[in-house]
Amino acid sequence: MTTEHAHVEEHNHPGPRQYVIIGAILAVITLIEFGVFYLSIDPALMTWIILILSSSKFLLVVGYFMHLKFDDVRFSGLFFAPFLIMVSIAVVLMALFFNLTR
Amino acid sequence: MQYLSGIDDHRTSTGLDNRKMLMWAFLGSDVMFFGTLIGTHLIYRNRNLSGPQEEILSIPITTISTFVLLMSSLAMVLALAGIQRGNMGQFRFWTAIVCIFGSIFIGFQMFEFTEFAAHYGLTPRTNLFGSTFLVMTGFHGTHVAVGILWLWSILFASYKGKIHQGNSLQVEIAGLYWHFVDIVWIVIFGVVYLIGAYGAEGRALEDAHHAARAVGIG
Repeated sequence: MTTEHAHVEEHNHPGPRQYVIIGAILAVITLIEFGVFYLSIDPALMTWIILILSSSKFLLVVGYFMHLKFDDVRFSGLFFAPFLIMVSIAVVLMALFFNLTR
Repeated sequence: MQYLSGIDDHRTSTGLDNRKMLMWAFLGSDVMFFGTLIGTHLIYRNRNLSGPQEEILSIPITTISTFVLLMSSLAMVLALAGIQRGNMGQFRFWTAIVCIFGSIFIGFQMFEFTEFAAHYGLTPRTNLFGSTFLVMTGFHGTHVAVGILWLWSILFASYKGKIHQGNSLQVEIAGLYWHFVDIVWIVIFGVVYLIGAYGAEGRALEDAHHAARAVGIG
């Protein structure tokens, strides 16, 4: 990649201020996860809350820190295609074994 | 080496840089690898109830180590932003922070493994939980260690002038690897630690309730 191309990609990326904001959001979500763990709620509800919070953190890191939100969509394909295959296999196997939350 | 000079052209017929494509393809394959390890752990949950189980996981300690790893990811993007703007001081400072935070995370993991072995006798041979949990988290810890070595080498190379603004893609690719290690831990922390330990606590309460009823005090 030439320096000019590197500059074009760099301009598409967020700046340090946005990175710090994303980092703060990630920290807050982790704190919420920690708090939710100590609530006395139904385990199935707890599972869904944690899955949603973890997915949010996952997407924030992949989208902003790894720049998939800003880079060429084919990079996303290279990553998310095997990811979806992996998740599908894991979910099917867990459904077969019936012990995700018990 | 020519690629370090920043003048080589790595574009392909796709118009994308082949080094970045290679890293994303590698991460895609590594996703499958970790998916196998995490899936195996979840499938074997509660299949062998002898010995220590998920109730031994320390959520407060792991929350701190998770926070440290998340902040190392923030430091990584700040290091990348620094070198992309030609600010080598910022790049070096934040890269060193990433390495230090990564080492702290490894320290937490070593403490956890030692505690499990010393207080609960948990080793990979103890039971299914020990086998799947220690292999999965140990494999992740190995990834973190490789990332730390990689980033230290980049940091030292920058002092020799081999890493600079013109080839900041080298840093971006190392950063992709580091963030990947972070997202894998996000999944492990949520699915294995929080959901797993919560389920274990719920089962412990349920068992205590049943035991109390059995002896006529529940």
